[in-house]
Amino acid sequence: MTAPTTRPGSGTAGVPLLEVRDLQVGVPGRDGPLALVHGLSFAVDAGRTLGIVGESGSGKSMTSLAIMGLLPPGATASGSVRLRTQRHPEGEELLSAGAGRLRGLRGDRMAMIFQDPLSCLNPYYRVGVQVAEAHRVHRGSSRRQARALAVDVLGRVGIPRPHQRVDDYPYQFSGGMRQRIMIAMSLVCEPDLLIADEPTTALDVTVQAQILALLSDLQREFGTGMIYITHDLAVVSQVAEDILVLREGRPVEHGPAEQIFSDPQQDYTRELLDAVPRIDDPVPAPHLQGGTTPLRPPGTSWGGGTP
Amino acid sequence: MIPYLLRRSGASVLVLFGITLLTFVVFFALSPDPAVTICGKTCTPDRIETIRGVLGLDQPFLTQYGHFLQGLFVGRRYGVGENAVQCAAPCLGFSFQTNQPVLQMIAARLPQTVTVAVGAAVLWLLVGVSGGLLGAIKRGTVWDKGAMLTALGGISLPNYFLALLLQYVLVVRLQVLPFPDSSIGLTQDPVGWFESYLMPWIVLAFGYASLYLRLTRDTVLDTLSENYVRTGRAKGLPRGLLLRRYALRPSMAPVVTLFGMDFAGLLAGALIAETVFGINGVGKLAADSIATNDQPVIMAVTLLAALLVVVGNMVVDVVYTLLDPRVRISQ
Repeated sequence: MTAPTTRPGSGTAGVPLLEVRDLQVGVPGRDGPLALVHGLSFAVDAGRTLGIVGESGSGKSMTSLAIMGLLPPGATASGSVRLRTQRHPEGEELLSAGAGRLRGLRGDRMAMIFQDPLSCLNPYYRVGVQVAEAHRVHRGSSRRQARALAVDVLGRVGIPRPHQRVDDYPYQFSGGMRQRIMIAMSLVCEPDLLIADEPTTALDVTVQAQILALLSDLQREFGTGMIYITHDLAVVSQVAEDILVLREGRPVEHGPAEQIFSDPQQDYTRELLDAVPRIDDPVPAPHLQGGTTPLRPPGTSWGGGTP
Repeated sequence: MIPYLLRRSGASVLVLFGITLLTFVVFFALSPDPAVTICGKTCTPDRIETIRGVLGLDQPFLTQYGHFLQGLFVGRRYGVGENAVQCAAPCLGFSFQTNQPVLQMIAARLPQTVTVAVGAAVLWLLVGVSGGLLGAIKRGTVWDKGAMLTALGGISLPNYFLALLLQYVLVVRLQVLPFPDSSIGLTQDPVGWFESYLMPWIVLAFGYASLYLRLTRDTVLDTLSENYVRTGRAKGLPRGLLLRRYALRPSMAPVVTLFGMDFAGLLAGALIAETVFGINGVGKLAADSIATNDQPVIMAVTLLAALLVVVGNMVVDVVYTLLDPRVRISQ
């Protein structure tokens, strides 16, 4: 495996919004520390999206949790994660930042959307309270301001009748609506960096498309830098300008999305791309190393082709 | 909510009827003739007959039970003619031992019992819930292990033993507390009042707090593994708010359920603590009445306990719906 093509932050001159260098994440294992992420480097600029793609277990989620400072107890991160903040325009090191400072940045300057929108919402509080919670904490808004803000943000993410639904509880919403609520929640302080960890995986395809469109719109509006984590290349092709392909915690390929799709340099990327079912594809998708059942391409029948 | 409560009340009334009937069977129909007990040593068969007549003990069982219910709802009359005694509803009869109206006896004992129960409940909720929370967030540390070990002690130590131990150490040896005197009122001598009830509170709270500590710790640990806790952390919430909204609040349902039952049970009398510390509460009344086979008092105390538990259960249900929004709709 050759070294991945690294691409420093493009677009704005100077410091990228987020710069990750040689990130290593390890968890304690039975026979000493177990490395989950080995030397990952990438950068994200304001208003742009980096897609991180990989199979489950490739270290995608660990990477995002390390950036947020939310690694599970016992897990350690080393290397460098620098976020451009008001206090440190040249980039503030997050891995060595204190718990209080990280808490101040989380939910305010950097936010995260998780995969399963029902289990990620607190069932005991009204969605309005949860959406505006970060704003109340970080900006000190009053209860009334927070509520008005929640109505506004819920409306912007496409919740119908937000002034009524602001008082409903999470279980009273459908899966797609819940994910919209999660998005509203993460954007309430207009963060500079948004990490979306498989935000559409638990949703059906039509809702998935709506959520993707919504994320792109909001990103354009707020100029948010985004990291979009997924196992699904088809999804990432719709949102990301840059793509980082991960495998077993190692970078496989890193570059602009067009280049990766049109001219993948690595075999693994090619396999991943070939695994995306296409309507005009005459042959069934091959399966990746690791041995999953081949998918039946749309338009063919099990009896028709040779698997 | 209202129709639900009405349905529950209906069912509760049936339960209470069942309990009165059962208690009546056990204590009136199956126990030795109370007329003989009342009559005492200098007794003639005539006198026994008179007593039976006055109390209605010569009537068939169902008639007696009917009289009991009648007394409860509309009041009843004991005896006939000039010597008849009127007992207004809710009539629980007269003590075989002291001839006092049972209702008055219970009313006189209730304040002491309520004081014991409320004080102990405040103490055990504070210690149990905060200790459990601490154990959960400091899982595996010295704090957690220490709390769990103490809790194990609290569960396995019989509270009469702890009561005697405390009394020996604090009252007899160190003499930091006076011997408990439950006749001291809060207003006349607040310090004496507090010192009198402190030991019963501690003894009762210790056992309960241990249970609540373990329950809270386990429930909070479960809650902390929920995905929404991670969402709360990702929002950068301060630790206190995070624990309150994302750990403690979702963990309160089982604690509330248990508390409703425990507190109601305690209001019906803390038998051992009251006896050991000489507090004239309902629990001691129950113990005394059983010892002397004072059936009207036994009936009344049993009925009170059943009523409290039934009402406690309904309160728990209401609180439950306030705690968990998901329960509200399904009702």
